[in-house]
Amino acid sequence: MQILCSHKGICDIERPGQGIRDMKNADFQLLFLDFSMVCPTWILENFGKRNLCAHKAEKIVEKPRLLQEQIGDFLAKAKESGLAMPVARAPYLLRDTKRTNLNNTMRQLAEESIKICGQAGCGYIIIRSLFFGISDIWETNKQFFLGLVKTARENQVTILLENQCRNVSGHLVRGICSDAYAAAEWIDRLNSEAGEERFGFCLDTGISNLCGQDMYEFTSALGTRLKAVILRDCDGHSEASLLPFTCVSNGSVQTDWLGLIRGLRKISFDGQLIMDFSDTAAGFSPLLRPQLVSLAKSVADYFKWQIEIEAHLKKYSSIALFGAGNMCRNYMKCYGEKYPPLFTCDNNKSLWGTSFCGLEVKPPEALKSVPDGCGIFICNIYYREIEKQLERMGVKNIEFFNDEYMPSFHFDRIKR
Amino acid sequence: MLKIGVQTKNAVDDSNPEKGFELLKSAGFSCADFSLNAYLSNISLYRHEVNTFFDKSETELEAFFAPHKKAAAAAGIQINQMHMPYPNYVPSADEELNSYLKKTVAVKSMKICHFFECRYIVVHGFKLARNLGSEEAEWERTQEFLEFLAPMAREMGITVCVENIYNSIGGHIVEGPCCDARKAARRIDMINEKYGAEVLGFCFDTGHANLVGIDFERFITCLGSRIKVLHIHDNDGMGDLHQIPFTFTKSRENTVSTDWKGFINGLKAIKYNNVLSFETAPVLTAFPQEMKSAALEMIAKIGKYFAEVITS
Repeated sequence: MQILCSHKGICDIERPGQGIRDMKNADFQLLFLDFSMVCPTWILENFGKRNLCAHKAEKIVEKPRLLQEQIGDFLAKAKESGLAMPVARAPYLLRDTKRTNLNNTMRQLAEESIKICGQAGCGYIIIRSLFFGISDIWETNKQFFLGLVKTARENQVTILLENQCRNVSGHLVRGICSDAYAAAEWIDRLNSEAGEERFGFCLDTGISNLCGQDMYEFTSALGTRLKAVILRDCDGHSEASLLPFTCVSNGSVQTDWLGLIRGLRKISFDGQLIMDFSDTAAGFSPLLRPQLVSLAKSVADYFKWQIEIEAHLKKYSSIALFGAGNMCRNYMKCYGEKYPPLFTCDNNKSLWGTSFCGLEVKPPEALKSVPDGCGIFICNIYYREIEKQLERMGVKNIEFFNDEYMPSFHFDRIKR
Repeated sequence: MLKIGVQTKNAVDDSNPEKGFELLKSAGFSCADFSLNAYLSNISLYRHEVNTFFDKSETELEAFFAPHKKAAAAAGIQINQMHMPYPNYVPSADEELNSYLKKTVAVKSMKICHFFECRYIVVHGFKLARNLGSEEAEWERTQEFLEFLAPMAREMGITVCVENIYNSIGGHIVEGPCCDARKAARRIDMINEKYGAEVLGFCFDTGHANLVGIDFERFITCLGSRIKVLHIHDNDGMGDLHQIPFTFTKSRENTVSTDWKGFINGLKAIKYNNVLSFETAPVLTAFPQEMKSAALEMIAKIGKYFAEVITS
């Protein structure tokens, strides 16, 4: 699984140096290239109208070939900094666009974007389906996407369809490709017509969240067609790109991260994980942005860690747990059979010698005599405190376990 | 012309059901959705609090509801659908409560439905995906409950209707049981085939669908004739408000923000020929009491509008 960072909200297209440095310093190695930074939605929406101030991007809409020229400096700076760009997104229209006459322009912009991807070594491009002013949505989009196959093939680029929402007088509801079965069918039919696997899918969690969708079901239905996931948060009502876990109410997150993590685990997702927190980043002072970008990297790493949680258990020839409470109980419920621990231990003396969920509860000292290659998994939320205790004892292979996103949960919690 | 119905909650009072059914009739309704769920509230059940209403014997329950049945008939109101108390399973509760909900409340609800000669009863699927890990596992538990009711439903000539409902994540409403039309259609067909009768159907709830941005037309056409009853109501896309259709806007243009066009197109496409029933009880507590009949008349008129455009 690869972690990418969207440059939106972090990089200024005219002076990208600082933003690129912030991402690099936060240890992001890969960028998500969004062509809308040089060809934004508002320019597309107002193209050709009177009184529009002259803007470089307007020339791109007029002559899509200029896209390359406009984005060239940014690409050069990113390359210079060693940032690769495995995924890009072609320019797109506003959700509530009124433009019915730009479909040909969108096709040309998509084509130019694919060519740039080819030159930049970018293997995936997200291209949104055409949606406004068309009667037969599938037929129109079939022609649109198949028309891009030749260029995509020449440039070794895979086209990713994306779940979109529809604007019903200000209320964003499920739109094209937001039904996972229908999206899967589109991809299969397009690949079949193309005669090769030239199409895949990118899940935008922000849109799924807006439409109150069950992300476990969504990812499960797409399976291996899912090549990329855009991680972004919102309040469930307005479209935004906020840092995951920042939309909370009364101490609870408001986004179905549980469903997403469970779903990505189920399909053994190994694709592109894209962090898009452009609105959060734009809201922070440039003085604080380096710390914010570092936090975003940690959040991305956390998602990867949760999705791949089993891989950490597999690493060790044997396992011992620290903690004899709910987290240990949850471990045993979900992983106890597949990765049976030797024992668990706890600082609570009254538990020593007792049995918990079929495990003997031992004093922490017992961890000193575990076999070589045994992983010690802390099953207690006081991770860092316990980690220090174990380090002082000279215990090796210390790992954290976490039960916030378990494959299933007990109906109750034990009280100790 | 399609018939128009509304919930009895907040309109029909136990102390004088004649007055309530007369009110519905004079407002322009010919059908009613009997709010059996009002006798055992979901809020109290989630607190593990159960009143004694369903402790009554079948004879006592029939005697209790006899005036309602008589009053509805006298007013010319057909009780075409009713709502079973919900939830039928409380994950945090003990076996005793859950057994009572299944073996007493659900069974007696079916018998009351039969007593009213009501063809459809709406139930909620169990909300267990978080605990059990998937919607499939959750459905297995709901199916077990539905199959418990199925022989009774077949014998009584009742169709139990599952409804699209929602869950809440930190106050944000997201899809819950029966929000996948494809799966619902497949499951309904499977159970009906197994019991050799239409023991299971679907209740499409417009308000719940709007909360989770469901494409009304696609959803309705996917379920087709499996949709037996409706819960028509509106909201702002954020809260389950059960308000009058066409009330909510979100843009400067002030055009309606709920996809009523999709609703009409969907019902038209499937040639829906059952009752257009409104689940708008909260409207009657929102408007001043003096305006109750006017509010009901407005709802009935919207129903007539829907009926006209759907059948045109």
